[in-house]
Amino acid sequence: MPSESSRQKSPKVVSHKEWLGARTAFLAKEKEFTRLRDELSQQRRELPWEAVTKTYVFDGPNGKQTLPELFDGRSQLIVYHFMFDPSWDTGCPSCSFWADSFSLNIVHINHRDATMIAVSHAPYAKLAAYEKRMGWNFKWLSAHENDFNFDYNVSFTPEELAKKQAFYNFKMQDPGYAEREGMSVFFKDEKGSVFHTYSAYARGIDLLNAAYNYIDLTPKGRDEGGRNQYWVRRHDEYER
Amino acid sequence: MATQSSSLNSHRIVSHQEWLAARTAFLAKEKEFTRLRDELSQQRRELPWEAVTKTNIFDGPNGKQTLSELFEGKSQLIVYHFMFDPAWDAGCKHCSFWADGFNDSIVHINHRDATMIAVSRAPYSKLASYEKRMGWNFKWLSAYENDFNFDYNVSFTPEEVAKKQAFYNFQMQNPGGSEHAGVSVFFKDEKGGVFHTYSAYSRGIDLLNTAYNYIDLTPQGRDEGGRNQYWVRRHDEYSSPTDGG
Repeated sequence: MPSESSRQKSPKVVSHKEWLGARTAFLAKEKEFTRLRDELSQQRRELPWEAVTKTYVFDGPNGKQTLPELFDGRSQLIVYHFMFDPSWDTGCPSCSFWADSFSLNIVHINHRDATMIAVSHAPYAKLAAYEKRMGWNFKWLSAHENDFNFDYNVSFTPEELAKKQAFYNFKMQDPGYAEREGMSVFFKDEKGSVFHTYSAYARGIDLLNAAYNYIDLTPKGRDEGGRNQYWVRRHDEYER
Repeated sequence: MATQSSSLNSHRIVSHQEWLAARTAFLAKEKEFTRLRDELSQQRRELPWEAVTKTNIFDGPNGKQTLSELFEGKSQLIVYHFMFDPAWDAGCKHCSFWADGFNDSIVHINHRDATMIAVSRAPYSKLASYEKRMGWNFKWLSAYENDFNFDYNVSFTPEEVAKKQAFYNFQMQNPGGSEHAGVSVFFKDEKGGVFHTYSAYSRGIDLLNTAYNYIDLTPQGRDEGGRNQYWVRRHDEYSSPTDGG
């Protein structure tokens, strides 16, 4: 997004009546956008599903659990793919930014027949220690001993990194890092079969960041001058 | 939004190749939507501003403060209009749902030259005790002794409520109650002038609810059958893991 500094220098200040006229006209566009969002959500729900046939065993606070077990009695499972390479000692700062958005929301999401968890490539002990430091309380699972992260295109092999070619966000590209961000959704039917319904990556999860949605309403906006999230720190690392 | 439960057990199951093709085709639509969102944000920033000339004094954790003081050294102020009528003992459960969405994001918002607060009409002591109960830590101010909530169209007089006619969400309509939700944005320039840049109400703040943004990605979706948010409770009031749904 372009810098807004030029805009700030010459704000157009008008009477209340004119302000209201301009705001009301813009409201019509916002309403159209909201309708488009609803329509898109509907179309998303009409996408076909694929069966999950592989057995994944995750390590977490309840010991070893399989993907079907992680639904925890609900029929939908939302997985946030949290970037945490096994060689790192802390989770990705940007994913931590996203986690600050969803951590307190999970109790509500649970009441729409959906369980929400985070999954990372690092061993569980690292996840648990980092989560404690950050003060979160979502359920966080390790995919260290399975192929889940590779199958869902959020972890990449040393060969892929060396070649700068991997399948990420539904195309071959340079993944840039061994781990990338995303989210996936699964459905479990009455017979216990599990289906992969949806995944999103990169800017596909932009809307899930609460801070950005508020920041987008301000005069300066994100004001990142093309350097996406350059200013983001872990919430305990901003100098005060 | 329509309920999805009827179709869920007979949903179309396809091969990975077909799944990928359908998903990739839909990605193009999602990207178009993201571009439209960026465009709308840009257009929003081009809207004119109005000067704030009235002096409103709020009561809060730092005692009495004016709107201008609430910027706390930053040039932008985001106000969440949290519904809390002076007669109530607890804040609105829907606003509480929204607060669960913004509480932990404020530290980040603060690093984009923006201060974010909540403002309600109830006296400050009620806000402070409810906030303690809910475990939040955002700055919450009372507009009990000023006209702020009425001026920004989120509180309504007994006469307006009785007549079922008040200005809300940029039109005359039945406000339904004495308080409504919304968000307002203010800008303070180098000379200390304060401007009202933006306000949104009703579904205009829907996008700010992170839980819904996740729920919208699931097969069942919001699944409210037209009864908006009927299932929502305060986070300490859900009586069982499935209560409300």
